[in-house]
Amino acid sequence: MAAPVPPGAPRPGANARQQSPHPNFNPNFQTNPNSLADNMQNMNLNRPHSMPNSGPRPSPFGQPPPFPQSSVTAGFPVASPPMSRPGPPPGMVGRPAVIPAGPLQSTLPANVPPGRPVGLPVSHPLPFGSRPPPASLSSSTGGAVLPSSAFPSSGVSSASAAPPPPARAPAQAPTMRSVLGSSAVSSPQTPPLPSASSPFPAMTQARPPPPGSPYGPQTWSMQPQQGTQPPHIPGSTHAQPPRMFGMPQQALPNQAMTNIPPALGQPGAPMSGSSKIDPNQIPRPIPNATPIVYETRHGNSANPPPPATSDYIVRDTGNCSPRYMRCTINQIPCTGDLLTTSAMQLALLVQPMALPHPSEDPIQVVDFGESGPVRCSRCKGYINPFMKFIDQGRKFICNLCGFTDDTPRDYHCNLGPDGRRRDADERPELCRGTVEFVASKEYMVRDPMPAVYFFLIDVSMNAVQTGATAAACSAINQVISDLPEGTRTQVGIATFDSTIHFYNLKRALQQPLMLIVPDIQDVYTPLETDVIVQLSECRQHLELLLENIPTMFQTSTTAESCFGAAIKAAFLAMKSIGGKLLVFQSVLPSVGIGALSSREAEGRTNISASEKEAHKLLQPADKILKTMAIEFAEYQVCVDVFVTTQTYVDIASISVIPRTTGGQVYYYYPFSAVSDPAKLYNDLRWNITRPQGFEAVMRVRCSQGIQVQDYSGNFCKRIPTDVDLAGIDCDKCILVTLKHDDKLQDGSECGFQCALLYTTVYGQRRIRVTNLSLPCTNMLSNLFRSADLDTQFTCFLKQAAIEIPTCPLLQVRDHVTNLCINILLSYRKFCATVSSTGQLILPEALKLLPLYTLALIKSRGLRNDGRIDDRSFWFNYVSSLSTPLAIPLVYPRMFAIHNVDTKDGDESVLPPTIPLSSEHVCDDGIYLLENGEDALIYFGSSVDSSILQQLFGFTSVDEVPTQFVMQQFSNPLSKNFNDVVNVIRQQRCSYLRFALCKKGDPSGMAFLSCMVEDKNANGPSYVEFLVHIHRQIQMKMS
Amino acid sequence: MSEMANTDPEGIDAVRMTWNVWPRTKVEASKCVIPLAATIAPIRPHPDIPTLPYAPLRCRTCSAALNAFARVDLVAKIWICPFCYQRNHFPPHYAMISETNLPCELYPQYTTVQYTLQPDPNNPSSAPQLPPVFVFVLDTCMIEEELEFVKSAMKQAIGLLPENALVGFVSFGTQAHVHELGFSDMSKVYVFRGNKEITKEQVLEQLGLGAAGRRPTAGYPKGLQNGFTNTGVNRFLLPASDCEFTLNSLLDELQTDQWPVQAGHRASRCTGVALSVAAGLLGACLPGTGARIVALVGGPCTEGPGTIVSKDLSEPVRSHKDLDKDAAPYFKKAVKFYDSLAKQLVSQGHVLDLFASALDQVGVAEMKVAVERTGGLVVLAESFGHSVFKDSFKRVFKDGEQTLGLCFNGTLEINCSKDIKIQGVIGPCTSLEKKGPNVADTVIGEGNTTAWKMCGLDKSTCFTVLFDVSSSDKSNAPGVANPQLYLQFLTSYQDPEGKTMLRVTTVTRQWVDSAVSSEELIQGFDQETAAVVMARITSLKMEMEEGFDATRWLDRNLIRLCSKFGNYRKDDPSSFTLNPCFSLFPQFMFNLRRSQFVQVFNNSPDETAYFRMLLNRENITNAAVMIQPSLISYSFNSLPQPALLDVASISADRILLLDSYFSIVIFHGMTIAQWRNMGYQNQPEHQAFAQLLQAPQDDAQMIIRERFPVPRLVVCDQHGSQARFLLAKLNPSATYNNANEMAAGSDVIFTDDVSLQVFFEHLQRLAVQS
Repeated sequence: MAAPVPPGAPRPGANARQQSPHPNFNPNFQTNPNSLADNMQNMNLNRPHSMPNSGPRPSPFGQPPPFPQSSVTAGFPVASPPMSRPGPPPGMVGRPAVIPAGPLQSTLPANVPPGRPVGLPVSHPLPFGSRPPPASLSSSTGGAVLPSSAFPSSGVSSASAAPPPPARAPAQAPTMRSVLGSSAVSSPQTPPLPSASSPFPAMTQARPPPPGSPYGPQTWSMQPQQGTQPPHIPGSTHAQPPRMFGMPQQALPNQAMTNIPPALGQPGAPMSGSSKIDPNQIPRPIPNATPIVYETRHGNSANPPPPATSDYIVRDTGNCSPRYMRCTINQIPCTGDLLTTSAMQLALLVQPMALPHPSEDPIQVVDFGESGPVRCSRCKGYINPFMKFIDQGRKFICNLCGFTDDTPRDYHCNLGPDGRRRDADERPELCRGTVEFVASKEYMVRDPMPAVYFFLIDVSMNAVQTGATAAACSAINQVISDLPEGTRTQVGIATFDSTIHFYNLKRALQQPLMLIVPDIQDVYTPLETDVIVQLSECRQHLELLLENIPTMFQTSTTAESCFGAAIKAAFLAMKSIGGKLLVFQSVLPSVGIGALSSREAEGRTNISASEKEAHKLLQPADKILKTMAIEFAEYQVCVDVFVTTQTYVDIASISVIPRTTGGQVYYYYPFSAVSDPAKLYNDLRWNITRPQGFEAVMRVRCSQGIQVQDYSGNFCKRIPTDVDLAGIDCDKCILVTLKHDDKLQDGSECGFQCALLYTTVYGQRRIRVTNLSLPCTNMLSNLFRSADLDTQFTCFLKQAAIEIPTCPLLQVRDHVTNLCINILLSYRKFCATVSSTGQLILPEALKLLPLYTLALIKSRGLRNDGRIDDRSFWFNYVSSLSTPLAIPLVYPRMFAIHNVDTKDGDESVLPPTIPLSSEHVCDDGIYLLENGEDALIYFGSSVDSSILQQLFGFTSVDEVPTQFVMQQFSNPLSKNFNDVVNVIRQQRCSYLRFALCKKGDPSGMAFLSCMVEDKNANGPSYVEFLVHIHRQIQMKMS
Repeated sequence: MSEMANTDPEGIDAVRMTWNVWPRTKVEASKCVIPLAATIAPIRPHPDIPTLPYAPLRCRTCSAALNAFARVDLVAKIWICPFCYQRNHFPPHYAMISETNLPCELYPQYTTVQYTLQPDPNNPSSAPQLPPVFVFVLDTCMIEEELEFVKSAMKQAIGLLPENALVGFVSFGTQAHVHELGFSDMSKVYVFRGNKEITKEQVLEQLGLGAAGRRPTAGYPKGLQNGFTNTGVNRFLLPASDCEFTLNSLLDELQTDQWPVQAGHRASRCTGVALSVAAGLLGACLPGTGARIVALVGGPCTEGPGTIVSKDLSEPVRSHKDLDKDAAPYFKKAVKFYDSLAKQLVSQGHVLDLFASALDQVGVAEMKVAVERTGGLVVLAESFGHSVFKDSFKRVFKDGEQTLGLCFNGTLEINCSKDIKIQGVIGPCTSLEKKGPNVADTVIGEGNTTAWKMCGLDKSTCFTVLFDVSSSDKSNAPGVANPQLYLQFLTSYQDPEGKTMLRVTTVTRQWVDSAVSSEELIQGFDQETAAVVMARITSLKMEMEEGFDATRWLDRNLIRLCSKFGNYRKDDPSSFTLNPCFSLFPQFMFNLRRSQFVQVFNNSPDETAYFRMLLNRENITNAAVMIQPSLISYSFNSLPQPALLDVASISADRILLLDSYFSIVIFHGMTIAQWRNMGYQNQPEHQAFAQLLQAPQDDAQMIIRERFPVPRLVVCDQHGSQARFLLAKLNPSATYNNANEMAAGSDVIFTDDVSLQVFFEHLQRLAVQS
């Protein structure tokens, strides 16, 4: 076994190219025209193992094109054709992206204008595929561009908003903060060393705010100059193409910025002071439109990742893609004390099956045969690029525990002059941050389980009458064809009201047989075999049944619903195999095991008692469901709950089940039979077709000195080191908090390895190993510079979500605010000591932290004016939310759509975003606000009726319906609007739940409550909040 | 038997007694050895019984019905109750009564009369003409072939049901499935787990028939039919005409139990739960509905309540030996379960019929209590394809001449003269615990009462009532008391058409002072009845009394009887003679000792239970055949004639027809068999032979037609293996011990059992001992 690579895998030379191999080989540069298609196939990691052999997949070991310098540009055009090519979406190979339109139309014609590519989940990868080729990359820098970039000084800061510098330039840190006034005037071309921070008072009169949007397209054009030639960086690094994100040259500008005018900063300054702050200049997120290319490591050191919310293409050059794992700080503090001083958190956000960009290389699969992957004999860490081979390759030192292992004989290879194994570049496990190992027998306690899908549908009176049952049946009926092909796919179906109805779908029967389990206190499965059958054997029965169910129960008068008993019964039917249990629930579970009471109403009638205990309603009502959930997880049953309701269903209690089993809650409130079925269908379809795995176990290992403190997310934890995931999919993210148990060596690297053992939908057992190695530092300023805002904030968000059910709301809000204040205080205290106390100085990397914190405080979960279920859903949604979606959840994007036809020829489909402030909402406008899950369309009171007619088909704001179905009319405005919506859907992997809001209506109030920069009942305005923070810092300083 | 067949010893009353004259005192009664007992077939049809379209007059104090033995004062319009001597006035509508205008019930020949009772308008529970309900409970744990047999039997049965009869269907294996026949969209079943005991309330609740669940279910015609308004039970019970198609297609699709059976294990079968569920379902019917659960069982219950054996095949089903040694771990628990099921069914007035067909036992011994207390039918066969099952099952549902005349909701009340106490009833009924002055202290069978419930009864159902005499010598001076004793049996029931009937049978017998003369007593002895009653008591004692030695007990009683009523000189066995009224009795006892009722170890507990249930419910004639089979000999030389039940009756040129009730054996002598094998019967010149061969077949068919359950017909030849069915019943007068003495063409029985002769010798010796 000299070569542990699968025999059929492409070998070096197979795809021989002229370019010479480079250590930083980026596989995307292999100019295989089929690469995208292959990417697509391989992105769906659950393909049968034979795939790598069959496809013309680019050789991971082939001679890659020389990467750096000039070749990068060369590489791009090559890479672009595949990008623009409409490839099949992952997980649904070969299916045209518009497919959903077909089936959808038959049942839900209103939702689907012909020809429109709906059904984002299906066509999910399309966002990438349909994106313009990254030819324009040169104009895009990193994501964070200061809104006030119209001004020279802010322009500088926008450049500096790009990711923090690599570890190599830490020395400048102390000098890097900007001091008020010092950088007041600076030209874009020559950014001053201490980077820009605009003193508001000084600037106000000098720079009139640009009319309209402060961050027009001009922003982009300015950036190239800003970022390209940082003067003081050695050529070797700055020669990097400017568009590369996180380039070293960006290290130089410091990241301090916003100032509060001294006058304002005085304690006790009146609120009127806010008028002195130009709201247009305070930090706001700035999207970047075109993807940048990001190399995970460069020059043997980690490259700080681009913002999670930005669009980027990863070249795995040793570290994993930040999609899979990213750290809150991209340099690891050597000591716990240093971390404590910074007030920041050290945590990883792990999304082991995250969906890659279609242009990225697929994860390579490595087969070590029966012996399984090479592992450290002490810590059991998997072989990775950071294991150091010594003694002519006979031994290797584990980067995680430091132990010296003997190299297995058949894995031995001599070292080259650079100290690396000669075969390092040919072996993915030695040169890639993420690889997947074929699991050998020792990783299996049983044969890998088949893909089992069990559908459980509420047919109680309410469910049937609101159309929820029909919607669920129709959605299921349509996704049947999306289930994995082959004999390994099994399905089952049951309905429930006050009893549970199973169906025997065996083909031998002339029609399905309904089997009722009436004992809902002590449930059981009515058949051992025939309630779950191979899909191929029961397709007709299943379709017939799904068509019949809504009519069969049409006259039902059973109001009760035995949700708990039903899932228990379904679980018992699935127990021997495991699988996915998809539950469609419409009313409060009122009878049987785990029956719940209408706590919310009880809470309302008893306000005095509930005031103090309000958060108790957000806790599960009892332990029964939790106990059940743990049992489900043990038997590898993953539960997803689709709540299609018009009443309180106690999501706080119900959600325990999906959370523990690696599933999730989908919430459609108030359920509308008109507008929701389309989303239900698309959610279900994405749920089933997205890349996913079953019966998974995950563990994160860290280098000595750091250890995992805790995991949080949707899983079941039985032993402290591992998390059990009955199901894992590309959308699930797990927060891993870390702590020091020792000192780390300055200048060394700290490694993190996430190993996910799982079974693909095609029944292969795999181990996905994700490695990240980050430099260690003793410098506080380095920590601030390398802080990852998105990750840190996501970490905040998740921790706040965990606290919500257990703490009084005020405490949670204070805690969140204090987290923000303490970080800024630490920065102010230790890294910006020179500046006057009158200034609020923010570290560049974290300049949006106050805004996001404010948004978080005003978010649905942290408000107490919302419905209990809405809040429960919110914090449950957050628990598994990925970083890229976490930010929009609290700080949604807003677009004007009344003028989407007036595009300026920009390549971007999306119109510019608008700050979330009512100042920017005009009475004659129509606005779209989306947070990745919901989309609100707001109508000003005096919208032009022709625009209304063009976009929505009615002419007056008074005609705004309560329920909305997207339609495309034959006019450019409508077409563009639809395009915008589709792009958003694709970006978010979500169909979006639309709501129409009218000014002066309660719906309008709901919209306005999303204007986080406004002052409202839930919190101060953005400016006021900055003042508040500044004041707090000043108080703590003195 | 044949001489009996021509007579009607039961007469219009269908009552037979062990003693037709009664000793006056308790002491003397006990000296009679054979207890005072009456057997009655309460609804046996008789052409002479008049049916009266009005209600009977009842005595004010003892509520006995007016009968032919009442003294009537036509002038005063008064009748005197013969039981309590209460004087009752005739009501106004009897005003026309006169010497020449007597109501039917006062005619001396009408000791038995029948009344049709009008439904009481004030009592809605006795709603008119409720159709009968049949809930089929079908085992699915059997091989495909058996299931096909039983399915086709069921289909046939459903076709035979009256159109308005309501039908329900429960199938079971590992779990019990209640089929909702009224659900049109698809086949719909309620599944009950097999391993959990379930109460009636739970069944109703879970079927949506509970108090809470009694909501109008849309999709079904409301408020209608059959008086089952708003109970929702008409989702499960549909008129046969409406659901025949549904049921047939349902049966077509019905598969054997789908739960996997581990190798080396029995199928998991939840008979107990299935029956509870069926009983619970019937609980939703209006009270007073006549309903039967027809259980078709193909194996032992191994799951949940009523389990009789573990699933592990290495553990055999309990035998009599296990029961004796208390080594049957499931037995008592199962019996307890069926006992409670019986209570539930009785309180609902519903019947459990058991049709068990399996090579091994299915638990009839445990279920006996539920079947017998509810008056259910029981048939035990080897296979659902066997005629014993098939034909019996068909008989249950078939109308016409052969009908069983299945009736529901029967109640038996007994009134008797002072000094007579009722100890209890042996037979298919349940005590209603109605106390009264006529209840004896000692209890035999279903006692402690003067009224019994018979959820199901048919025209041949027979009960044994055991009496005691309470008066002592002193309390009643002879001559003062009435020389006649009276017994009155009142049986009310719903006939197959749903009409409520009441039959009143009043009998009288004479008191005799046996201290003075035993001659009268001897003349009043009915040895056939006595033998049957002894057999029934013995069976009961064997079941109830631990360590009861039946043989010894029978022997002792027989010796005592012979000592008391025989004529002999003390200590001289050769002087011993018996009055002809007793002459058959010792032979009955001899055969009883050898019968399946006493020698249980040759049978399984299931078979024993089966035999005993039939022994208890059959009439005296048939029961006597069970004890002592009849044997008829067919030969060229003579007409068919009864033959001695002895091995000596076997002859090479004879055909024997043995009727042992459960089986009928046609036994061809060696020569006959050879001739037959050579086909002589097909040759015209040997028509006589063909007729000889045919005669026993015809007679056998005649018996089979009359009998329920259908007996097993065994046709065999001398020295064939099946001949054991005959040999086992014959007196072993010729065994290998005395084989040298036997005649040619005769046979020997390989046994060490004593022969009748030896038995008699011993009896004589012991009877004359001082």
